[in-house]
Amino acid sequence: MLHVAFLIPLFPLVGFVVLLTFGRRLGNPLAGWIGTIAVAGAFVATIITFAGLLGRPSNAREFTQSYFSWIPVGGLQVKWAVLVDPLSIFMCLFVTGVSMLIHLYSIGYMHEDRDYSKFFIYLNAFVFSMVLLVLANNLLVTFVGWEGVGVCSYWLVAFWFERDSAASAGKKAFMYNRIGDVGFLLAMFLIFSKVGSLNYLTIFSHTHLLGSATATAAVLLLFLAATGKSAQIPLFNWLPDAMEGPTPVSALIHAATMVTAGVYLLCRMNPILGLSSDGRWVIAIIGCATAFVAATIASSQHDIKKVLAFSTVSQIGYMVLAVGCGAYIAALFLMVCHAFYKGLLFLAAGSVIHGLEDEQELARMGALRKWLPWTFATFLVGWLAIAGIPPLAGFWSKGDVLANVYAKSFPLYVAGVITAFLTAYYMSRLFYLTFTGKARWQEAAGDQPAHHTPHESPWVMRIPLLVLAFCAFFGGVLDLPWTNRGLNNFLGPVFAGTLYHDNLSMTSQWVLLAIDGVIAVAGLAVAWVLWRVTASRPALTPAFLERVWYWDDFYDALIGRPGQAVARFSATVIDAKVIDGAVNGVASLVKSSSTGARRLQTGYVRNYALGIVLGLAAILVFMVSRTWWS
Amino acid sequence: MIKPTLVDQYLAIFLLLVVGVLFAAGSFVASATLGPKKKPSGAKVAPYECGIVPDKEPPSRFPVRFYLVAMIFIIFDIEIVFLYPFAVIFRQLGSFGLVEVLIFSVVVFVSLLYLVSTGALSWGPAKRLQSGMPSRTSESTITRITAEADGPSTHQAA
Amino acid sequence: MSALAVVTAHSTIVLPHIRYLAILPEIVMLGGAVLLLGIASLVRRPLRVTVSTVGTIVIAGTSLGLALWQWADISSHGPYTAIDHAVVVDGFSVLITITVACAMILSALVGDGYLRREGVDGCEFHVLAMVSATGAMFMGEANDLIIVFLGLEIMSIALYVLAAMNHRRAASGEAALKYFVLGGFSSAVFIYGVALTYGATGTTNLTQIADFLSHNVIASNGVLLAGLSLLLVGFLFKVAAVPFHMWTPDVYQGAPSPVTGFMAAVAKAGGFAALLRVFVSSFGTLQSDWRPILYAVAVITLLFGAGVALVQRDVKRVLAYSSINHAGFVLLGVEAATAQGVSASLYYLFTYTFMTIGAFAVVTLLGRRGDGHHDIASYRGLAGRQPLLALAFAVLLLAQAGAPFTTGFLAKFQVVDASVNAGSVPLAVIAMVSAAIAAFFYLRIGLIMYTPVAGKGFLPGIEPLDDDEANAGPSGESETDGTGDAAPAELSAGNGQRPVWSGTEGAVVVRTQLNAELLLDTAPGEVQVLDPSEDIVEADAVDDETAAESAAEDTAKVPVPALAALAIGLCVAVTVVFGVIPAPLIDFAHKATLLFIP
Repeated sequence: MLHVAFLIPLFPLVGFVVLLTFGRRLGNPLAGWIGTIAVAGAFVATIITFAGLLGRPSNAREFTQSYFSWIPVGGLQVKWAVLVDPLSIFMCLFVTGVSMLIHLYSIGYMHEDRDYSKFFIYLNAFVFSMVLLVLANNLLVTFVGWEGVGVCSYWLVAFWFERDSAASAGKKAFMYNRIGDVGFLLAMFLIFSKVGSLNYLTIFSHTHLLGSATATAAVLLLFLAATGKSAQIPLFNWLPDAMEGPTPVSALIHAATMVTAGVYLLCRMNPILGLSSDGRWVIAIIGCATAFVAATIASSQHDIKKVLAFSTVSQIGYMVLAVGCGAYIAALFLMVCHAFYKGLLFLAAGSVIHGLEDEQELARMGALRKWLPWTFATFLVGWLAIAGIPPLAGFWSKGDVLANVYAKSFPLYVAGVITAFLTAYYMSRLFYLTFTGKARWQEAAGDQPAHHTPHESPWVMRIPLLVLAFCAFFGGVLDLPWTNRGLNNFLGPVFAGTLYHDNLSMTSQWVLLAIDGVIAVAGLAVAWVLWRVTASRPALTPAFLERVWYWDDFYDALIGRPGQAVARFSATVIDAKVIDGAVNGVASLVKSSSTGARRLQTGYVRNYALGIVLGLAAILVFMVSRTWWS
Repeated sequence: MIKPTLVDQYLAIFLLLVVGVLFAAGSFVASATLGPKKKPSGAKVAPYECGIVPDKEPPSRFPVRFYLVAMIFIIFDIEIVFLYPFAVIFRQLGSFGLVEVLIFSVVVFVSLLYLVSTGALSWGPAKRLQSGMPSRTSESTITRITAEADGPSTHQAA
Repeated sequence: MSALAVVTAHSTIVLPHIRYLAILPEIVMLGGAVLLLGIASLVRRPLRVTVSTVGTIVIAGTSLGLALWQWADISSHGPYTAIDHAVVVDGFSVLITITVACAMILSALVGDGYLRREGVDGCEFHVLAMVSATGAMFMGEANDLIIVFLGLEIMSIALYVLAAMNHRRAASGEAALKYFVLGGFSSAVFIYGVALTYGATGTTNLTQIADFLSHNVIASNGVLLAGLSLLLVGFLFKVAAVPFHMWTPDVYQGAPSPVTGFMAAVAKAGGFAALLRVFVSSFGTLQSDWRPILYAVAVITLLFGAGVALVQRDVKRVLAYSSINHAGFVLLGVEAATAQGVSASLYYLFTYTFMTIGAFAVVTLLGRRGDGHHDIASYRGLAGRQPLLALAFAVLLLAQAGAPFTTGFLAKFQVVDASVNAGSVPLAVIAMVSAAIAAFFYLRIGLIMYTPVAGKGFLPGIEPLDDDEANAGPSGESETDGTGDAAPAELSAGNGQRPVWSGTEGAVVVRTQLNAELLLDTAPGEVQVLDPSEDIVEADAVDDETAAESAAEDTAKVPVPALAALAIGLCVAVTVVFGVIPAPLIDFAHKATLLFIP
């Protein structure tokens, strides 16, 4: 059963090729269905592989499937091969599962778009790249997937590139990711130079070749890559702008899957992380800071998708924090639960936006529960899940992370709890502003006329919502603290030796969980008081928070302006004068000598024959001189 | 028995060379000594045209087809030459030689087939061979000449 | 008397055991050619091209299949020599056989469209090409200088005729004659070299030569070195290395474009195969004598090829000089005289086959009826008219320039790497410099294709050439700066650029007249109308005589026959796919070298 592993990347690849070739001809909605079926095939293949993996004893669940040798240059031997182990198959399961649902949702969401088939081409390419990233058995192929998802993200963020904001958001996402990619490349070079291989299993069995300083450098470089892809400080502010893309894209790429690639990379490289305690502290602190900062910003945003975007940044901050503490399984547990409820929230938000004809301002919503009952119900589940209300998925997964952080470092735990409160608060604010209060969309605001009565989404969009709501509700059963801890048992072998054990007693665990529950309810209550009726409280949304802690302005002043000045100098002085001068000089030299050389080509056979004879004579003279010398 | 030395082996070739040179030289000498010494008169050099004195250069046109057939003949002629050595050692070569020669003959036969199919051997007014040439009618020729007369004479008739 | 005794003493003839399997690809190719000649002669004229193309693909495909079978055979049972050690079947020879068979299939696909377009309804192109391919295969398989020579002649003589195949083009005739005269000359030089080598070593068998040289120290090896030099000149002529290259531009330009592509691929593959085998394996012990020569030849070949191509205006001439430059690169691998060098050269030859046939396939299409529109100016705006064709051409040119993610890059990388490892660092540096120079003219064609017709003057460095050409006037001036090399007027006349008619009225009359005739022909619905030769030729005449119209025609789309598109697609696919996934081909070439028996 494990041998079907090759089908997991193959299905989306075939879908991509088919859509690329015939997409336009297949049209709407056939192209969408083909894309969805391709991903569904990958999901089924994943399940079969997963079942095969479960059939093996827990210490033998590791399996490499090689396809062909890619780069056989000297010491660098890179193969296209997949590494099937609990970690990769776990990632694949939720990546393909959530992707399948979001593909289905997109069939409805994108039905009016001109570039309908193009959307699914990109989506399938994304799924292929993501699966490649996760399944690769070496850093280089992972990097191919890493770049693949990056470029798909760029295409999809800038999908409506006629809009200036979308085009520049795409560029921004791409640039920030490139900075992270440099980290990835350098880490790869560093590891290769020490270990002599890019294969994960080889690297992990030769970690002793890395000194502690090298390990710290490698960890920090890998973390730089992760901050780019997973939107952590200091590279986090591309993610909110990426909300310019269509909502299914935000749900799939910028909430559920791609942005967790950084966390996956860190988990995958856990034996290297295990070598550097300093590096892990940096990761933990940055993760915690990101979680907190993003949560404060999310409390003040006015755009429904921006709130969710900063919420995503904050939640990934939690995952990174967990990774920094060595609680990899807690991070992955949160990752999958987050994929469920954040995917759900984005899709439900998309349903709202769809119903209100592309309205995203919270100020122009309200009281939608009457008109969008399905959306309301599912959003409710997502809200309670992310806020951490028991017994929904978010409660258990966040509780797991916080328990580990508590055992590791109390200050970080306090920051985590405050962030949890803020999470409950801003999500409740979002919920009340959208679904309760006055129906503000009925009034004209400024130059914008009133909206029509919103309409509920078609069934292809509702089914994914229901499935995800179900998952978000019951996702916690994957890893309940008092049970046999299924996820821990399954993923344990991957992190053998590097996993942090909190060793908390059952009692203290329950106390911590109780604190989480209380904090969540408190957040809900505060928001209830403040935002149930009123839509505007300027005191609670200061400019400092609205402008994202002036982060973009800071980058603009520090890098943007000097960079532009340097570029202008290079273009007008260095390139135009120095380089062009040299190039033109060489070119004219070559050209004049060539013109001379071509005079030899007279067109007469006798001269050609003379050339041969002279050449022969020269060679003979040389030979004769050699015989004389020797 | 005399052991053949290197010189012995090449003697025959050398002899052939000498005989060849002698023959060529001998021909010149013979024609010079035996031929008439007097310079021929003008009338003797002039081309003969039924007794009429030609008033312009005689047309010396042969159809190109003539040369073509001659060339084809030479090729086949040379192929026949190959059969002589085969005939000499026919028995030593045995069945292998027979098969070889049969293959050789087939190749020659196929090329003959090809020549027939392209019309190289069809005598008479050419049709097939000229299928590639631009077909001219009296009309097009006349137009062409008119055009030529109009335009500057940079163009050489193809 | 004694001479007679010698003859009669050997009255029994000992025939060597002939292992037909060893030369089966060649037998199929040559036998197939003869068979095809017979069949095509028997079918009706309009069907001949179809029959030839299908037949050629089947035959060359069979030959390819047999070569692959040979590969499997020697992979499991090891390489062997056959037919009294005159022929060797090893990875090296099989790779050359595969290369040549691929070249044959691709050329057949390209040639089909060309023959239909030009109205040449015969099997000559296919049959001659197959014969020529057989010769190249023999050069790869030869383990005896006599077999090398046989292969060389089989290959060359067919190529001479191929160059003159389209007898309506005066340029083709001139090209063929030049090629023939010089080729005959070089063959004579080569066979003289064989004789001297035989004189010095007492054998023509390559293995025995190597044995002889490794076991004997010759006090005075003047004869051997002279023989070696002559052999070298014979090979260098075939592979078009400077200064034995001079036939190349004229022949490449004059020969029909599909023939040029075939010639570039097959003659190089055959020539280099024999060169590699003879010099690296047989004369390996004399490395110190011949390596300096190849070093010098490689340097001038690289620089000359790249440099002179810069100032060419005819795309076929540009590609001709570029092929000289490529020959220089392959020489790098030969000069290294190591296993790595051989492997790199083989890889280069294999991938170059696809790049060059693909490129010439595009040139064939763009040459339009009459195969004359090869001026670089007529490529302007191609991307706007036919984006796919332009893209394919651009990819193939970039590959030839050595752009990454194409096989061209890997090929260049490997020969340079081999050269560096063999200690010829300056040579490697010169090679890279020449690649940089060469990149200019590849990119120039690319740029011109992607420049709209209206948008003039996009690169200051290029414009003057165009202006020169625009004002060049009648063909008389081409002696000095028309088609680059100051070639005689006959050649430049072929490209249809000379303004034959200054007064356009006459031209118009001719045109309408011929159109009227065309209409007359088609009116009764005769079978003749289906015969492509008639109407195409008439249009051809129009083409030749009314250059004024060529400008208008330059902006028209060229038809792309399905088979030619398939060939171009295959070439691009091989170039790109194996550029992105290099391992299989590199392994292939590497393994071919491992199975090399000296």
